[in-house]
Amino acid sequence: MSKILIVDDEPHIRMLLEQTLEELEDEGVEIFTAENGEEALSAIQEEHPNLVFLDVMMPKMNGFDVCHAVKRELRLPEIFIIMLTAKGQEFDRVRGEEVGADIYMTKPFDPDEILDKAYEILNIPH
Amino acid sequence: MALISFKKFVTKGYFAQLLNSLSGSLQCVPEITDVDGVVLWGQPTEGEPLPITTGEQFWGHVRAPAPHGRIFADLTAHYLQRELDRRILAAEALEKYREITFLYAFSGKIASCLGIREVCQLVIAEAHKLIPSTSAMVMLYQEADHRLEMIASISPSTTPPLSLSPTQGIEGHVFTSGRAEIVNHVSADPRHDSSYPTDYALICAPLKTQDRVMGIIRIGTSEQIHYTAAELKLFTALTAQASAAIENALLHEHKIREERIKSNLERYLSPQVAQTVISATGEISLTTSKRRLTMLFSDIRNFSSHCEELDAEDMVTYLNEYFTHMVSVIFSHRGTVNKFVGDMIVAMFGAPATLPNHEQRAIAAAIDMQRCLAKIPVPWIQQHFLTGIGISTGEVVVGNIGSPQHMDYTAIGDEVNVAARLQGLAKGGQILVSRSVYDAARSNYTFRPYGDIVVKGRKNPVEIYEVIYT
Repeated sequence: MSKILIVDDEPHIRMLLEQTLEELEDEGVEIFTAENGEEALSAIQEEHPNLVFLDVMMPKMNGFDVCHAVKRELRLPEIFIIMLTAKGQEFDRVRGEEVGADIYMTKPFDPDEILDKAYEILNIPH
Repeated sequence: MALISFKKFVTKGYFAQLLNSLSGSLQCVPEITDVDGVVLWGQPTEGEPLPITTGEQFWGHVRAPAPHGRIFADLTAHYLQRELDRRILAAEALEKYREITFLYAFSGKIASCLGIREVCQLVIAEAHKLIPSTSAMVMLYQEADHRLEMIASISPSTTPPLSLSPTQGIEGHVFTSGRAEIVNHVSADPRHDSSYPTDYALICAPLKTQDRVMGIIRIGTSEQIHYTAAELKLFTALTAQASAAIENALLHEHKIREERIKSNLERYLSPQVAQTVISATGEISLTTSKRRLTMLFSDIRNFSSHCEELDAEDMVTYLNEYFTHMVSVIFSHRGTVNKFVGDMIVAMFGAPATLPNHEQRAIAAAIDMQRCLAKIPVPWIQQHFLTGIGISTGEVVVGNIGSPQHMDYTAIGDEVNVAARLQGLAKGGQILVSRSVYDAARSNYTFRPYGDIVVKGRKNPVEIYEVIYT
């Protein structure tokens, strides 16, 4: 069974992403949320999700650090990490590459695009 | 699709934690079953099965020894309701978010379209994506024939391009009133024009700029659904952006057309006059009319004998050089170049734009032409080209004259012939003017009488004056 983790410090983004991905629950996908980097890291270790939507700008531990910890320290390259970055803020591609992020998407996100991507990554026929 | 999976609600997340801690502290583990009696949580236990309901919806049962059964049932129902409310809000918020992202992306896409058809096609394609519909179209008002014409459409059947009078049908009504409308039973609407395919329901909105309605955009469906106020609102937001883009596209087309006309006009008119003609304010018109203006004829003395001395190619090069300088002098005095006849230049002052003091301006131009000619930086021209100029003023008929295949903006009349005659009389470097020009400009320039000539068709001879300049 596939698992998706949504990490964002803004409650409305978490809610919107959760709602966007909700129909995947009918396919047996489990969706979790985390409010900050630290919480995200322990959730990843505990639940081992297949896909993580990871906000870049977060208090305590930012998205790059979380990604680095997962991909480089915990050595979990199979966890697909989508970095979420605010539109207008230039995404630091070099840093993203360094920490091993798979792709990045911009907020405000296009719900259909997010959903299509999730189907694709989890390999669920859509 | 149910908003909540009861199983997930009971077994995962905060409610499952709550159940755990509560059953611990009450030392009572209830049994929760779904609508089919499948146990979702807890273990078989004593007590009466109590239904869990929110509003009208039945979710399953709780069974626990009294009085705990009631507490668990109420608590479950309460938290279920909270979760439901949260989900409803989330779904609504997502819907709004979807619309915002859509409009955001739409404005980006539309900004990169320039052609009117392209813009219209994009608008209906996007509207069609956003709001359930089976047909969509844009109609724009065409001033030339005073009709609403279909510019772009998405339609299930191949319908002929539609053309309506601006008061015909629901579309015409929306165009005239400038207000968007939902019509949910199209065939029952008395305004509906039955001469074209009927949708069951439609939304039609005007494409408006600040000061006018440019056309309409409508989407419709053949399915028996009702459009809602929320859809109308969304459609209106889309239309507002589309209006701005269509207005831009119209302006762009207009500008291209204007540029084309202008580049044609600029061959005859000074750029300023060309611009005035295009902006067409008041007294400027290319239509034929009788008006008072000044004609100027200028000709190179002994041109044909010079021609024999040179190769044809060289001659054309020199002539073009000469014309270029002369035309720019004429334009700088706001004259209009009427035509070149061989080496002769025919110019007028006072048409198509009216020009105050056209007599003085023509003289000023003539003097500048003579001075300029002496300074053209081509030695051969300086040594060989000398021009005689004749100027006359009076009433002439001016306008586009010719056959449909070939038209010239030109002047005809007695005064034209007089100017031509004076030019013929003028020696190299001389400027000869008629009495009418002298009368208007005598206080501004120095003249000396140069005798009379008899012009065909005139009783009295024409008095001639020579302009004295240095």
